[in-house]
Amino acid sequence: MIPLAEIQPPVIDYGGLAPLFATIGGSLVVFLVGLLGGRFVQRTLVPLLAAAALLAAIGLTVANWDPGDTKPIIEGALAIDTLALFLSMLFFVAGLATIALSLRAPVVRETGSGEHLGLLLGSISGMVILAGAENLVTLFVGIELLSIPLYVLCASELGRASSLEAGLKYLVVGSVGSATLLYGLALVYGATGSTDFAGIAKGIGTTVGVGDPLLLTGVALCATGLAFKASVAPFHQWTPDVYQGAPTPITSFMAVATKAAAFAIILRLFDHALADVQAEWAPALAALAVLTILIGNAGAIAQSSLKRMLAWSGVAQAGYLLAGVVVGTRLGLQATAFYLAVYLLMNVAAFAVVIARERVSEHGDDIRSLQDLGRASPLLAWPMTIAMLALAGFPATAGFIGKFYLIDAAVAGEYAWLGIMIVVGSMISLVYYLRVIAVMWMGQFAIELPTFPPRRVKPVSGWSPEADARAQPEVVAVAVLAAAATVVLGIVPSPLFDLARDVGSSLSALV
Amino acid sequence: MSATGYGWLVLAFPLAGTLALALGWRLWPGRAAGWIGSAAILGSFAASLGMLFELLDRAEDSRSLVGTAYTYADTAGFRADMSILVDPLSVFMCLVVSGVSFLIHVYSVAYMTSDRGYVRFFAYLNFFVFSMLLLILAANFVVLLMGWAFVGAASYLLISFWYRRDTATGAGIKAFVINVIGDVGLVVGAFLLFDGTGALDYAGVFEEAGNAFGRNDGQLVAACVMLLVGAFAKSAQVPLHTWLPDAMEGPTPVSALIHAATMVTAGVYLIARMHPLFELAPAAADVGAVVGTVTLLIAATIALAATDLKRVIAYSTMSQIGYMVLGVSVAAYGAGLFHLMTHAFFKALLFMGAGSVIAAMGGVQSLDKMGGFRKAMPFTFATFTIGALALAGFPLMSGFFSKDEILAFTLNRGGGYVVLAVAGYLASGLTAFYAFRMVFRVFFGEPVPEARELERGHLHHGDPANPATGEKEDTEVGFPGPEHHVAEQAWPMKAAMAPLALLAIVAGTLGIPGVTDTLEHFLEPTFEDSRFLETHPSESSEWLGLALGGGLALLGIAVAALVYLRRPGTALQLRERFSTVHTFLSNKWYFDELFDAVFVRPMAAFGRFGRSIIESVFVQGVLVGGTVGAVRVGTSLARAIQTGELRAYAFLLVSGLGGLVLYFLIVSV
Repeated sequence: MIPLAEIQPPVIDYGGLAPLFATIGGSLVVFLVGLLGGRFVQRTLVPLLAAAALLAAIGLTVANWDPGDTKPIIEGALAIDTLALFLSMLFFVAGLATIALSLRAPVVRETGSGEHLGLLLGSISGMVILAGAENLVTLFVGIELLSIPLYVLCASELGRASSLEAGLKYLVVGSVGSATLLYGLALVYGATGSTDFAGIAKGIGTTVGVGDPLLLTGVALCATGLAFKASVAPFHQWTPDVYQGAPTPITSFMAVATKAAAFAIILRLFDHALADVQAEWAPALAALAVLTILIGNAGAIAQSSLKRMLAWSGVAQAGYLLAGVVVGTRLGLQATAFYLAVYLLMNVAAFAVVIARERVSEHGDDIRSLQDLGRASPLLAWPMTIAMLALAGFPATAGFIGKFYLIDAAVAGEYAWLGIMIVVGSMISLVYYLRVIAVMWMGQFAIELPTFPPRRVKPVSGWSPEADARAQPEVVAVAVLAAAATVVLGIVPSPLFDLARDVGSSLSALV
Repeated sequence: MSATGYGWLVLAFPLAGTLALALGWRLWPGRAAGWIGSAAILGSFAASLGMLFELLDRAEDSRSLVGTAYTYADTAGFRADMSILVDPLSVFMCLVVSGVSFLIHVYSVAYMTSDRGYVRFFAYLNFFVFSMLLLILAANFVVLLMGWAFVGAASYLLISFWYRRDTATGAGIKAFVINVIGDVGLVVGAFLLFDGTGALDYAGVFEEAGNAFGRNDGQLVAACVMLLVGAFAKSAQVPLHTWLPDAMEGPTPVSALIHAATMVTAGVYLIARMHPLFELAPAAADVGAVVGTVTLLIAATIALAATDLKRVIAYSTMSQIGYMVLGVSVAAYGAGLFHLMTHAFFKALLFMGAGSVIAAMGGVQSLDKMGGFRKAMPFTFATFTIGALALAGFPLMSGFFSKDEILAFTLNRGGGYVVLAVAGYLASGLTAFYAFRMVFRVFFGEPVPEARELERGHLHHGDPANPATGEKEDTEVGFPGPEHHVAEQAWPMKAAMAPLALLAIVAGTLGIPGVTDTLEHFLEPTFEDSRFLETHPSESSEWLGLALGGGLALLGIAVAALVYLRRPGTALQLRERFSTVHTFLSNKWYFDELFDAVFVRPMAAFGRFGRSIIESVFVQGVLVGGTVGAVRVGTSLARAIQTGELRAYAFLLVSGLGGLVLYFLIVSV
């Protein structure tokens, strides 16, 4: 028996943990308060509490901001550095947007505000843990904590079969991904004899050779598992189905926050722990990036459902982001962080418009729901136009400068051909992004589209969905804010550049 | 105010105009929007003059100024400022663009009066001018790219301005797609340069290029060729030219503004701006020279057979830009830009005249249906003829001096360039012929009913119909308005055409060999680093070239007079005698078909591939199942998952995983 005195408790920095406490605590409070019935609680109090938790988390994150070395907050398990804080900020912002978008969503009427937002905050907590993970076990805990609430959230629009299907499909596929990842983590641990990232980095080259088959098989399995989360081809197939089936506010959350979380851990694992075997994994990831760009863009061309189109476009964008990881440089890290932030803005704007339209249009999320939007509702049409142009990388939007940054990183990192792939991919992507713009602004313009049956909007108990659909200022506000930020950061990108530069200081192994 | 201060004003005016028109589109009554738009461009022109005077006040070696508003992007990897470059070249371009644009705005005030999209039209037009000026004033590749892409977008908006016409939207998309190909070329070129020099601003790139690349270095040539792809797409050079004739679907002032005077010259400007690079990579410059020559010849031959009035002028534009590209590629920068300026004047004038004629025809554009407008439209006839004379290079007109100077320079380079010059002279004969083919067919011969009606003072309006397909249309928003306007009855149109006609005659005096060299001297500070600055053709050979060009112009006009005036049946006989040639030409050398086979069909196949292979495996269950009946999907969740989709996922998963593991195992051994 070990005497108690001999156990060294880990050093815990409660200040650094505070944002996490805010989200976990917020999640519990929201769950409990949500149990109370009543219109005021469901519609006002619970969303307010959830938003307050996220705002508090944002404030605490800003307070912790300190460019420089990694600071452990739970020794050997969790740390904060600018990368973790920057990405946490993205999760919180995405969370706030999702709260606004789900205020009048049908899903909330069916499951209740408390469950919905409680799960959302739980998932965000998982992401925060993942972004700061310093060891393989924390990594896995983070991934599961972020995924399990999402499985439930995907399936929570109970009245719609495709929602249930999406949840189940996500669960099955996600579990396979998790299992693969776990297996990979075990092999990496087996090869290096260490679970924490610093130890793994130290072990490579000393306890285990760079070309060790056990280690590299582990790397392959890890790459596969994480590729699932980031929807990198050929592990992307769940994406369109799940994105389409899930309640749209959740889809938008998954599109931006889950992707950012997946890239957080990809960056940390590959560019930090496995940085010494970069020569081995980089070509494989580069090949995946090319495949992802091509498949994502080809898939998006054929879509008539906006949610599916955005899902495929998200696949393509994951390919662009991967280029920033592949090069394994500080510049690549900065470019990836920059693009993740921009990606959040562009997608939130687009999804907000989809949400606003699918609530009132008989066409649901079909592209036809946008017809003539330019004249009917310019406040929705402009954000969508800006989002589409930015996703396509049109100059003077943040999307342009983000892609420029990624290409720059690729060129500087001796992967010039990957940069050219990004350009080619963006060129193809114009086909489907511009189609959306054309539908909105050019009234009678006949566009060849695959047919899709109109969705029946189900009447639900509770407050009136019709009245809600008419007035949805918060959705319009989200769309307008995100689009405005996209344009402003496209013209004056330096604040985001400064943040990205700070993020660049976080992974010390990079050059 | 400093020169760069004026430079920012040049940009601020049209931007303010765009915003004022776009945000207040419900507010502006009557023609107010047109005058607001025109005033914004006039402000730009005034600010351009301000730049000019500020530059002239400075010593010649300090006439290149960079003004920075703020740092656009500054990272470990690259630094780019939001900055403008004010030097003789950019000031010259600003003056030409804002000056001609102002006149075209004034013309449009009357020409577009009855269109339901009046305010929208001027908002687009102002936005276009802003983009074009941004492109010109950019001091680095990032700002250049912004202007470049904005110009493409503005041209798309304006070509499809009548967006309920399928032909117009189709033409807009075609223009946009080809422009995007050009954008990609420009991006890749800029990155290749950045990769070698580590700089994005012009000054840095030019400074470093000499150290980073050797003469004709592979990467530099590749970069320059990529820049040329961008230039060719914007300037409609073979094989990226097919969008320009189709772009004539836009309103006629748009054709005058974008597709004659300004946007299409962006490629010429780009080559002139990048001249230090092209002189380091003569191989790329030669590509430009050859493509320019091929274009000027091909376009001139197609213009012989085209029957749509605006398309004839469009092919003529392609051909004239071919001359300019040839000029700046053989280092005759002054001559190339001289021709850019004179062409802007006479080509805008020709388009305005054509707009007036088309209005008199009630929207019909076919030459076959026109004739005898001389008496009905004396003003249009006079100005159009001046434009045609300048285009043909009639002695002492502006086009005479500028075009022949390019050819004299080319001849002077000797060697293989002689072939290019000969082709240029050949095409200048053709130019004179097709220019007067238009004049004779539109204004001479038996007056058509519309001309007779106009002679009696009544303007024929006709049924609104799409001139390309003959399809009946209404005059609602998205279609052309119900009423037409001819120069004879609308003073703003006259006010715009008269100064241009004057300029088309006298602008040549800015560069008469041996007498004046105002323009070339003004531009000299920009091009003083050129190796070819001193290699002027001798005065006597320039005059010899002028004599030759003038003779060919007279010959071409004489032949046209013979064919269309003296013996009106000749054209038909010729067409029958050489029917194969005629078919070939009227099919535009089959470029559209070639493009279809090489690009469009493979792209469509790619899309189908995306739909059938990538999608079908996964969509079958959900979407097609959904089409068959949402019921069936809804009935059994288990069943939906059993349809094989998850199995397909699993299959791809395992093969993907297998591939990855296999790769890593191979690496490990």
